[in-house]
Amino acid sequence: MKTTHSINTLFLALLCLTASTLFMSSHVQAAKWDASMTPAEVEATLDKKFAEGKYSPKGADTCLMCHKKSEKVMDLFKGAHGAIDSSKSPMAGLQCEACHGPLGSHNRGGKEPMITFGPTSTLAADKQNSVCMSCHLDDKRVAWDSSHHANADVACASCHSIHAEHDPVLSKQTEVEVCTTCHTRQKADMNKRTSHPMKWNQMTCSDCHNPHGSLSDSDLVQPTVNETCYSCHAEKRGPKLWEHAPVTENCVNCHNPHGSVNDAMLKTRAPQLCQQCHASDNHTSNAYLGNTDMGSTVNGNAFTGGRSCLNCHSQVHGSNHPSGKLLQR
Amino acid sequence: MNTKLNLITLALLTSTSFSLMADGYGLANAKTDNIKYDAWNCKACAVETGTTGNVGVGIGYNSEDDINSANAFNSSNQTAGKIDADIKYRGDNGYQAKVVANNMGMDNGRMEIDVGKLGLYRLNLGYRSIATYQSNNALSPYQNIGSDNLTLADNWVTAGSSADMPMLYSSLTPFELSLKRERAGLGFEYQTESLFTTYVNFQREEKTGTKVASGSFFNQSMMLAEPVDYTTDILNAGIKLRGDNWFTSINYNGSVFSNNNQQLGFDSAFNPTFGAQSRGYMALDPDNEAHTISLMGQYNDSITSLSGRLLLGQMTQDQQLTSIGYGYSLPADSIDAKVDITGMTLKAVTKLNRAWRLTGSYDYNDRENNTQIEQWTQISINDVTGKVRYNTPYDLTTHNAKLSTDYRINHGLKLDAGYDFKRDERSNQGRETTDDNNVWARLRVNSFDMWDMWLKGSLSKRDGSEYKASESSSAEQNPLLRRYYLADRDRTQIEARFNHSPLDNLNVDFGVRYALDDYTNTQIGLTESKDTNYDINLSYMINDDMNVNTFYNHQIIKSAQSGSANLSIATWQADIEDTVDVVGAGLSYNNLMDSRLRLGLDYTYSDSDSNTQVRQGISGDYGDYFAKVHNINVYAQYQATEKMALRIDYKMEKYLDNDDANDIEPDTIWNVMSFGNLQHDYTAHMIMLNVNYSL
Repeated sequence: MKTTHSINTLFLALLCLTASTLFMSSHVQAAKWDASMTPAEVEATLDKKFAEGKYSPKGADTCLMCHKKSEKVMDLFKGAHGAIDSSKSPMAGLQCEACHGPLGSHNRGGKEPMITFGPTSTLAADKQNSVCMSCHLDDKRVAWDSSHHANADVACASCHSIHAEHDPVLSKQTEVEVCTTCHTRQKADMNKRTSHPMKWNQMTCSDCHNPHGSLSDSDLVQPTVNETCYSCHAEKRGPKLWEHAPVTENCVNCHNPHGSVNDAMLKTRAPQLCQQCHASDNHTSNAYLGNTDMGSTVNGNAFTGGRSCLNCHSQVHGSNHPSGKLLQR
Repeated sequence: MNTKLNLITLALLTSTSFSLMADGYGLANAKTDNIKYDAWNCKACAVETGTTGNVGVGIGYNSEDDINSANAFNSSNQTAGKIDADIKYRGDNGYQAKVVANNMGMDNGRMEIDVGKLGLYRLNLGYRSIATYQSNNALSPYQNIGSDNLTLADNWVTAGSSADMPMLYSSLTPFELSLKRERAGLGFEYQTESLFTTYVNFQREEKTGTKVASGSFFNQSMMLAEPVDYTTDILNAGIKLRGDNWFTSINYNGSVFSNNNQQLGFDSAFNPTFGAQSRGYMALDPDNEAHTISLMGQYNDSITSLSGRLLLGQMTQDQQLTSIGYGYSLPADSIDAKVDITGMTLKAVTKLNRAWRLTGSYDYNDRENNTQIEQWTQISINDVTGKVRYNTPYDLTTHNAKLSTDYRINHGLKLDAGYDFKRDERSNQGRETTDDNNVWARLRVNSFDMWDMWLKGSLSKRDGSEYKASESSSAEQNPLLRRYYLADRDRTQIEARFNHSPLDNLNVDFGVRYALDDYTNTQIGLTESKDTNYDINLSYMINDDMNVNTFYNHQIIKSAQSGSANLSIATWQADIEDTVDVVGAGLSYNNLMDSRLRLGLDYTYSDSDSNTQVRQGISGDYGDYFAKVHNINVYAQYQATEKMALRIDYKMEKYLDNDDANDIEPDTIWNVMSFGNLQHDYTAHMIMLNVNYSL
């Protein structure tokens, strides 16, 4: 019944999606030129201007003749991008036009497009980002082009503020809040019974994921899931004498690192989780019914009560005891 | 008008050919021949030197005794003080320094100090602490908790059942289950004017506390306080080189873990059984090391981007084995474990034209466990153990290939589709090879900030080599068992998200996701799992000063599994239903009282509920297993003077969790001596006062 309901909801959603593509016509005007030019025209003009390279006669001084009244524009000088004494800062090179492109005829009334940034810019995200990436080519952004965020057309300036003393996304106190505005499922996960301590910012998303993409799955900061986990849980790395195969293979076989309704972020509680893999000719095969009308209780025996299977097999992450085959010591 | 149109027409005509040459506005492609830099004096560039920022001190009071509240309130003490700072110094010639501190003095605090010359060198000092609290009311009769030697009182009288232990209740003392990490780091980076950067970072982490473990003899078990006293050192160093459109680096990453406790010894609280043992020893996590060298590179010509990594690593462990109480000869004093890691990753993205992109990647990762296989006599603890066993070092090789394309149909419409292939090859397990084939497609529609929607669907199928249920297992397994991480599986996922801004100040976001895992050839084990999730988020800017947001998330995960009590077809079924509801709301009101006062409220409520039913003729359930948590934070910030701001926070946490299986006293289960009931039921309040001073 629930499945049918879900499918109906999705079908309706698909209809809405199709319908809305037909009716959408209004565009939010982000810049002066958006009133008279389509995004394609803006992009074509910017391409041409960039190729022609008609830079201003006096650099930033030309731009600031009009724009110095804007507090936001002048806030650039409070951050690294406004530094005038570093050879690596845009201000040491093409100044404002390093990022916003050559002036061209923009100073004649401001109607000719310049490169603009952020979610309200009509310029395609990859074009915006090509500016940023031409300097920020480094190990932290080595896989930007194939990253989740690049593929989702996220502009660098959708998250980062350049014309500011502080870039809020770089603050560990607000990082989780920024990420979870889009990643809403993870926002719910971190509120579950158990999760990594992200709800109170003890940990942040970037402890495990690189938002600029990485060469690993899920844009993890380490080559594999397990190596990402070992970077904080080095005690689980071993290699131990008696390995528990699914543990060695992948931590997320048993855990959901974003959060779970079960203790220890387990996907399923014991003994059911263990019984999904262990069905030998002894106690692992039995049905453990829990509370029944026949008098048995879930907290009345060692198979379901307390730590369940872990009451005896405590070393689920592997054992280094010579007699640890059964992960008991 | 004509001029503009002509310019646009010309631009449209030329842009296609141009973009094939270089797509984007990268600085390396900028045409700067005509610039006369002599006139570029940047006279209006207003860079101020000196010290700016703010410092703050705070003091908080937490009324709650249950230590679990410290996770939310950031302190396990009744009163707590903290220091915050955000100070920046900017000198001449690019010299600068920065100090950022958050909650220093509290359980979860951070501090970063950066000193350097912009674009030349940077010295970084960091500190971070993280504490997590489980309970301060765990009960144990053991003495020396926190040490590696847990003993019972000299006059302890053993018994066959925990309820018959005469000394149990008089010996119980409460202790704390909590873990604290403290990290300190030092980093240095040096850049030259041109290509070259080198860096070195060192970090030491101390992790201390107590966690739960269990020690057992035959069918008797005691919960034990396992001491945690770990030190982990991490060293990263490398050299980076870059040009206009390429980057390469060679990196070393080393991690050395040491545990100050090698084993945990404990007295048995029960009457001796097989082997007449009265004392047991558990091996604690051994000291180990991991070292990796990687070579990374990227090439990007604006049309095509290639990136890759080659990686060689080794994980080793040579801790002396625990032999106390073992009683047999060891084939080696330590196992000299060695796992070699080899990794290779290649990713490529190319733009076929402005609208069409192709992405491909291949990832190879090999974990080869070269630890010597030896025979190890197992201690006899019952009538079936005491045999010789061989250790089975696991190897794993994964191949991961992905191919995808995205096509922009028009400015607001984009179609993505892809195929992912994953092959896992493993040794010493029931199935040596599994193949996962996954196809997916996504349609995205957006109209800037009015609408942004996408719909994604994927189908995947996992199969592989012949499944041998009992292979390398310590006991004969049911031949119909298919372990869920190795089993054939069909996975269907569909997900949609709608983001709509009907008004400039209103944003509505709605998402729905449905995933079905069908274990197609499993009779014993996990057979099916369904995950349905939807969430709605509203954000409304009432006016320039007032903002309201609210969200709701609902998730149901249903799993079904089967088991057999007679090593044959299923005789019992288990159904598990997890339900999660999370509600949140936030309100902020700025610029009250002549822009001096800011008020805010944040509220979240989460309800995580799990229901397990097992049927074998009759039906049973696992009782209550939920956590319901309310959190409120109300704050007011008042700008008392131009330089000084005061802030008061009131925080409340109403926390209730339970687990019927752990609703136990130390002697509820006859053959388990437990820590007792560790559940929480409290309403905690905290008041925090802060004074912040602008420099």
